[in-house]
Amino acid sequence: MKIFQNRAFKTSSVLLAVAFSATTALAEDFTKGSKAKDFGLNEAVQSTFSAKVVDLLCEVAGDCTDNCGAGNRQLGLVRDADNKLIAVLKNGQFSFNGAVEDLLPYCNQKVEVDGIMVGDPEEHNTQFYMVQFIKAEGAAEFNKANKWTKAWAARNPDAKGKGPWFRRDPRVIKQIEANGYFGLGKDADIAYAKENQ
Amino acid sequence: MKPYSKILSFAAAGIFTCFANVSLAFSATQAKPIEIKGEIIDTWCYLSGVMGGEDAVVGSAHHTCALWCAAGGIPVGVLDEDGQIYMVLKLKGEGSLAKTDNIMEIQSDVITAKGMHYVRDGVNYLVVEDVIANEGITNLNHLDYGSVPPNSFPENFLSKQ
Repeated sequence: MKIFQNRAFKTSSVLLAVAFSATTALAEDFTKGSKAKDFGLNEAVQSTFSAKVVDLLCEVAGDCTDNCGAGNRQLGLVRDADNKLIAVLKNGQFSFNGAVEDLLPYCNQKVEVDGIMVGDPEEHNTQFYMVQFIKAEGAAEFNKANKWTKAWAARNPDAKGKGPWFRRDPRVIKQIEANGYFGLGKDADIAYAKENQ
Repeated sequence: MKPYSKILSFAAAGIFTCFANVSLAFSATQAKPIEIKGEIIDTWCYLSGVMGGEDAVVGSAHHTCALWCAAGGIPVGVLDEDGQIYMVLKLKGEGSLAKTDNIMEIQSDVITAKGMHYVRDGVNYLVVEDVIANEGITNLNHLDYGSVPPNSFPENFLSKQ
């Protein structure tokens, strides 16, 4: 009986320890140590954590490639602390840039990231991530998550010129030439300009 | 078994079961076929509020900015009539960041699509197998908001024509 009691006590202790770990992970303060800027964005919360970089299609649909889609797929982060899959919408640049160029070098690898969670969790069930800094797990220094614009320039050598990339991007220019700035045709652009300029 | 051991056992088992269920709920991916109707939106501007309120960062007002964001690799979403957002991961067999015109051509349009819907950790993900209807841009909110952001429409537009 005494042995049973000891076993029951040990089992209980182990279960409690596991439960406590789960509680700790769910309640972990990811703001601690963050140096990210919140830019006053909607419900922005600083958030730094360790995670694995994943191909979202592979992670949610089992549609996998060897190289996370080689830049043609959206990537995400599976956070170590709670195994939560976090959708990454932005890198740290402020010229309409996503995060794939910054995450892709770490495909299926462990990283540490610093950035902000944004969006109203009450309205949209969760929040989404803007990665501002990233480094391989255990590396000394964070790197700025700002690779997109240089990668775009390398892909578009014929789009050189003045002004930001998005005014020179061939795919954007093609759509605006076809459908105008409001997507409603050139007549809508002219009508708007006549009324407002 | 002493009373305190019994209480401890029940407490531990209860807490463990609770968190095991929570953990499974967070990590499991549910998948189902879907037919969805909604507007193609730029998820970052819509969710972050960086360009203003939700009514202003959709439709014709935000069309050029949506093109910029799609070309810039920001995830594109489908905003359905209930206000739910579905992040597009694949469109007609190619990754949503493929450098083609497919995803650019439907920016701000109201589409009906067939595909697979996945839910993971509160986020709706969508693999679009086919766009079966496209109503074009139906929200003419540039009449209320102008261009959002303002610099997405050229200054002195008429003089450049």
